This record gives sequence, structure tokens and C-alpha cells, in this order.
Amino acid sequence: MKFIRMIGFASAVALATAGCGADQHALVGLVRENPLNVAVVTLPEEFIGAASAPFTMRAKPGELLVVYFGYTMCPDLCPTTLADLRSALKRIGSTSDIVDLAFVTVDPLRDTVDRLAPYLSSYVDRFHVIRTTDMAELKNAEEAFLANSSVTTNALGVIEVTHTALAYIVDDMGTVIDELPFGVGADGFTNDLQILINNTNKGE
Amino acid sequence: MRKATFTATVIAALTLFATSCGSSTSSTDTVAPETTAAAETTVVVTETTFTIDGAWARTSPMESTVGVVYMNITPSADDALVGASVDMAIAGMTQVHETTTAADGSMGMQEIASIPMTAGTPLELVSGGFHIMLMKLAKPLETGTSIAVTLTFESGATTIVDVPVLTEAP
Repeated sequence: MKFIRMIGFASAVALATAGCGADQHALVGLVRENPLNVAVVTLPEEFIGAASAPFTMRAKPGELLVVYFGYTMCPDLCPTTLADLRSALKRIGSTSDIVDLAFVTVDPLRDTVDRLAPYLSSYVDRFHVIRTTDMAELKNAEEAFLANSSVTTNALGVIEVTHTALAYIVDDMGTVIDELPFGVGADGFTNDLQILINNTNKGE
Repeated sequence: MRKATFTATVIAALTLFATSCGSSTSSTDTVAPETTAAAETTVVVTETTFTIDGAWARTSPMESTVGVVYMNITPSADDALVGASVDMAIAGMTQVHETTTAADGSMGMQEIASIPMTAGTPLELVSGGFHIMLMKLAKPLETGTSIAVTLTFESGATTIVDVPVLTEAP
């Protein structure tokens, strides 16, 4: 597994290097030559005790939005990624206030807003619970991120979930400016978010 | 004979549990008794030491009903990890899992029946790799507490590891 993580990390570094701009050389995440734009994606944002509202996948003006496709029954990848994000925000300090999170559940039948909201509040102060039970709508949204997921029940009746475990960093235009693969850890999150926060504050 | 085996394991386990409390790094020794054909006496012919370090369980996010335990296990002799369990008062079901990456890049998990272990080489249960998954948590795992996790090996040896619940990896 370490091997896979190393490869993921190395390829991410290679892609970042092949990417663009001076500062972006230092990003450990994946930077595409032709970045994805996900502002075309609008999914329901859910609230406890209130009606849902459409949420479009872009950051508020002058901010950054981290988008993650996960689920609360996930014991390993999702908590590790969210804990890495939490550590990074803490290490960066108050300038990380411009970092928002949209958590899209890939397991909407088990993940209700009543589960998701407290779950996410264990990690971050700012978050959006994104949930649709229309699996075609979820699939379309994932395609914009080149992501995928599945929820299946195996022969023993155990529900198995797979999902793309990247954390996407989206700017206020809806451009995916960085994709952090699993395994970069709190150091990777801190490194990239710090650079991207600096760039955002400089108006880049 | 069965009784003798059971007693030996339990005594070893209890002693170890008591000595390892309150530490995130613990070393545990467990006897894996094998017997000769003699009816009344139990003779230990192998003794494998399992050194555990870096054991921790992640604090449960609110509303979570699943948990995870990580650690490194170094056996003194070749063996295989074949199971893990906790008291039902902690979790209703415990499995050894591996996080896997599919060809399309999506990641999932699968239960693993047996993980081979080589003498002297740590078996790493880490995020993104092998891990012990706790399901149907009776209550959230809280930072500052610890849980006893029983590891079962192919040789028949068992070890109880006192695993601290932490917010971040130690």
C-alpha cells in the first residue's frame, strides 16, 4: 500500500511540475494543464430542519472551496482526509478562514443531513452538506470532476462503497486548481492550501 | 489440554494488558502454546513474541458508527494475522480490512481473511492500507480513552493490545 501511495504522490508531483505557473511548482497535488471547471455542477445543499437549496460548485468570491466525495460509514479514507484538512487549517491559522468545504455524500441513502452535519462539524467549522438521492444527478456531478463512486451489496449483505478519494480545490470561478490525492497527508494539505490561499489573497 | 491452552493465553494477555495501559507504544508478548501428544501435560514448543507499536484508534466523528484501529505488529517468527476483535460493548463487529485502489482510481475496502507476516518485519496497519475496522460502535470512541483489541494469529496465538483513542496519528 505504501507503494501505491508513493506512486500516487510521485505522479502528482510530476504532474504538478508539468503543470504551470511559478508558485504552482511547489504544489504536491495534481494540477492539470487544462483544468476542470465544475461551476456547471449544481446539487442540493441540505440543512437540518430547513429546506434544501441549490449549491453550485464554486467558492465564494475571494475564497477557496474544497470538494470531497465521501460517506460517513467510511472508517479510513474519509476521516483521514478530513483530519488532514483540519490539521492544515489549524496550522495555517486565521488566513485559512477563506477555505470552505463541500462534502458530497456518495452513500445518500444511509447518509442523511442529520448524520452528515454533526459528522462534518467534528472536523471543520465551515462546510456544506451536499446530498442528492437522484443517482443519475450524482453521477453527472462526479463526471465533471472525473470522479466516480459505487454502492453495492455483496453476497453477505454487506454494503460496499467505492469512491474517488481526491480532495478537489476549487476557486471562485469554479475552476479545479488543485487535486490532492489520498496519501499527501496533513503536510500536503498544508503546503498546497497555504500556497493557494496566498495566491487567492494576491488576487491570482 | 484445551483448558491449559486457554489459561496460558489469558494469563499472558492479562499481564500484558495491565502493563501496557496508558501508553501509545506497547510491547506485548504472547505464548502460542503447542502441545505434545502427552495427555496430561502441555509443553510449549514455540513462543512467538509480537511487538506492537504506534497503536491508535481514531476518535469517532459525531454520528459515526464505524471506527478504525492502526498499529504496527512485528512478530518474532513467521505467522499471519487472521482476525481482530473487541468487546461487544465497544463494537458489534470487527474486521481486518484492506483499502484498495481500483483501475479507475476509485478506492474501496475489502475484508481480509489472513495477512502473512514475516519474522522481524513490521506488519503495518496504516491509513490507506490494512486496518482494523470497527462496525456498529456501541458508542463513539472518545479521545483519552482506550480500547482493548484482541489480535488472533494463524499459529493460534492471541494478543490483547491496549489501543489509545487519539484525534491524530501519534
